[in-house]
Amino acid sequence: MNVELTVNGEARTAADVEPRKTLADFLREDLGLTGTHLGCEHGVCGACTVIVDGDPVRSCLMLAVQAQGTTITTIEGLGAPDAMSPLQTAMRDCHAFQCGFCTPGFLMQITALLEDDPNPGEREIRETLSGNLCRCTGYESIVNGVLQAIEVSR
Amino acid sequence: MTTTEQPAQPLAQRFVGESVKRSEDLRILTGTGSYVDDVQLPGMLHAAFLRSPIAHGRITGIDLTAARQLPGVVAVYDGAGMQGLLAETAKAPGIFGPAPVDFTLLATDKVRVVGDPVAVVVAESRYVAEDALELIEVDYDDLPPVATAAQAIDPESTPIFTDLGSNVITGPDTNTHGDVEAAFARADRVVRANLKVHRHQNVPMECRGVVADWDPSNESLTIHGSNQGVGIAKMVLSGQLGVPAHQVRVLCGDIGGSFGLKIGTGREEIATAALSKALGKPVKWIEDRNEHLAFSGHAREETLDAECAFTNDGEILGLKVSMVVDTGAYPGMGAMLGRMVEGMMPGPYSLEALEFTFRAVVTNKAQYVAYRGPWASETFCRERMVDLVARELGLEPLEVRRRNIPFQGENPGNMITGRSLTSATARESLEKMAELVDVGAFRERQAAARAEGRYLGLGMATYIEAAPGPRAEGGGGLGSEQMRMRLDDDGVVRVFTAQMPHGQSHQTTLAQIAADEFGVPMELVEVVVGDSDQVPFGFTGGSRSATMAGGAALHNARDLRQKVLDVASHLMEASADDLEIVEGSVAVKGVPVSARSLASIAAAAAVEGALPEGVDGTLEVARNYDGGKGGWSGGTHCCIVEVDAETGLVDIERYVVVEDCGKLINPAVVDGQVRGGVAQGIGAVLLERSAYDPETGQFLAGTFLDYLLPTTTEVPRIETHHLETVPLDPDVNFRGVGEGGMVVSPATVCNAIEDALAPFGVKVEEQHLPPLRILELIGALED
Repeated sequence: MNVELTVNGEARTAADVEPRKTLADFLREDLGLTGTHLGCEHGVCGACTVIVDGDPVRSCLMLAVQAQGTTITTIEGLGAPDAMSPLQTAMRDCHAFQCGFCTPGFLMQITALLEDDPNPGEREIRETLSGNLCRCTGYESIVNGVLQAIEVSR
Repeated sequence: MTTTEQPAQPLAQRFVGESVKRSEDLRILTGTGSYVDDVQLPGMLHAAFLRSPIAHGRITGIDLTAARQLPGVVAVYDGAGMQGLLAETAKAPGIFGPAPVDFTLLATDKVRVVGDPVAVVVAESRYVAEDALELIEVDYDDLPPVATAAQAIDPESTPIFTDLGSNVITGPDTNTHGDVEAAFARADRVVRANLKVHRHQNVPMECRGVVADWDPSNESLTIHGSNQGVGIAKMVLSGQLGVPAHQVRVLCGDIGGSFGLKIGTGREEIATAALSKALGKPVKWIEDRNEHLAFSGHAREETLDAECAFTNDGEILGLKVSMVVDTGAYPGMGAMLGRMVEGMMPGPYSLEALEFTFRAVVTNKAQYVAYRGPWASETFCRERMVDLVARELGLEPLEVRRRNIPFQGENPGNMITGRSLTSATARESLEKMAELVDVGAFRERQAAARAEGRYLGLGMATYIEAAPGPRAEGGGGLGSEQMRMRLDDDGVVRVFTAQMPHGQSHQTTLAQIAADEFGVPMELVEVVVGDSDQVPFGFTGGSRSATMAGGAALHNARDLRQKVLDVASHLMEASADDLEIVEGSVAVKGVPVSARSLASIAAAAAVEGALPEGVDGTLEVARNYDGGKGGWSGGTHCCIVEVDAETGLVDIERYVVVEDCGKLINPAVVDGQVRGGVAQGIGAVLLERSAYDPETGQFLAGTFLDYLLPTTTEVPRIETHHLETVPLDPDVNFRGVGEGGMVVSPATVCNAIEDALAPFGVKVEEQHLPPLRILELIGALED
């Protein structure tokens, strides 16, 4: 099947996409956007989270063909190494992450949260991020990064 | 936080000691990192493994026909076929220890664990490869599973390796230190406990994986891997495939965590490399989470029967410990664990005597692998026993620790197992903790809460960590860390380290040290990792990098700086003593106008005839670092919990860490290591278990809905305090901090839970305390 969609502001088209192919595999293999990571492929770890039409979605649980006509943002759409977004900068300032594998999912989940509510408290941040697993940090540095991003945006 | 805002600070201390932002984050935060699954090569094929669904059985038949006929499938191999792709001299992979056993890369005669690889499909996509797995027919004759250590110890159990004849592969071996009889005879009392550390596992967020790329034109193998040391992977693959080592190159990019798991090269990685060589095409294998949880490797699963002899004054005299480790189906590091646990069992305590007995068994479960402080059950055992002593005597556990752990100033001497305790600051950390946590005030609050039917508990635990450990009398024992360092004609100092970071931030921390010592901005230092053609042999693990690689970076930068100044002295016609390196340039001291860029010095030095005859113009150094005097890391953790007696849930109200890893290179990196370790320990106690059915040996924790990791809502903020008390060396006083958080946090949390449950008379003997178990312990549910 053909899939037409908008990814990180660019119109993308792919022909002959197997109906069973996950959105995650499609983004990584067909569009070369390997910033989205697969940590469990059963919807628990959250590493593959991308934003589809404004909502955070586990791209391992969605099929590429279901993304027909949608607008998607992945980590590559947030900001490049020489032009990081305020969220990315805050995360760097706070040493939020270590190995970096869970990072794309956290950043997209946080982006969706802050678009929804630009001023969440720590409790709400923690509840929103409780569906994203990080094995390195104990989460405190990630929460600090979100709080700093909120502070900076005020 | 950046140091450029503090120009008044002396140049030599600009970066070390500061929470310098990580260079790794530029790629990690932007999705531009390169993990093994991100590698896509032209014509790349995909491998998937068929795995045993049963714990123990004999393979009586295997039919690959239908799988081979599926369109898109390139090749299918069973165990016998795979043997034909390996070097004739290849030994069973990944095995070390006292009991070498015979098995094949893919199972040929027997399967010994759920998840054992039986066959492999290579196809044009992973989807097709997995389709083909379903077309492979395997017939098994079930063998009686050996699903617990107790079953393995039973002489009637079916030997998993018939050539060994027994499932007990090490011991029982007993060693004594000091006069055990006398210590126990002098004691007023003895407490006993049968302590159990459950099976749990590393669970990095990135599973294992490899891309193997055989080049038939020059018979060379390039591996894109996810390993803690590229040199180790190169040696293993060379031996297994029969390819000369110089024709194997191992590359690792970003690695999504490991915690000890990825030190070795897995059977699937070897098979994937063999397939690439056989097919002449790149082949990728990426482990999925179910494969990972079942088969990548598990840790711990140890029992420790302990007796502790002590006086009525709370002086602990001696310990007797009998330990059994369940190493799973394929013996490796677990078989050698005993000596590590034994050596560390006394910790910082002034014990008179220790008797230690060790046994290792094989069972039909996943292989034992190293996990963040593999020896950590010594801390769990000792710190549980100390709390039991305190309870027996009606003393505050803090007070019992005070009576048995010496201050540095008191000449702490040696552990009863031998090592010097010089630089071990456990007592100092304990006193700092006593300042931070008002135990007396807590007891009042605890009593008031109990009167309301609420159960608060406070737990402490103390540890030391050989990171790298003290140098033994007469030298030796810390190993050697290799490093090369070079000034290139682009003006960049390149550090070629044997470390293979997977979250530890070495590309930042080693650059901090080298930049300070050499005298350049950090942007002019590049830390090169993960290429066996470029970096020296070594690995990341054992919390050794801070001292060993940090020391190597410091001394190589110092050597390189001198070498550059010596060369510059000829080019600039000034004495080397009158020159300095400032901000990427060499200048005559006090004469900024004389400055010449490092790039131009490096370029000029390479020109023939630029230097007098006999002057070495190669701006490269390679000095091994031996760890100097070494030294201990260590500290004390304390947590306060509330246990809900209706739900069995444990809420951690406060968690405080006092730790000493010597001089901090990058405080934010240190705090991250500490917090991450504590989070894993909290997970181990409250959530995680690699469960097997004790009758069938079936694996029961194959998804993240069964194997529960701690999340943002379980891990509290962790207050971290640092001691930097005992400088041993004029230059290198950085010590490792990777494992301590995970070593001591399980005992800390368990001690707090037992304290909370004191009104129920609960004695905590196991480390795994999920809600159901807590309800059993307090009698709300039947055991």
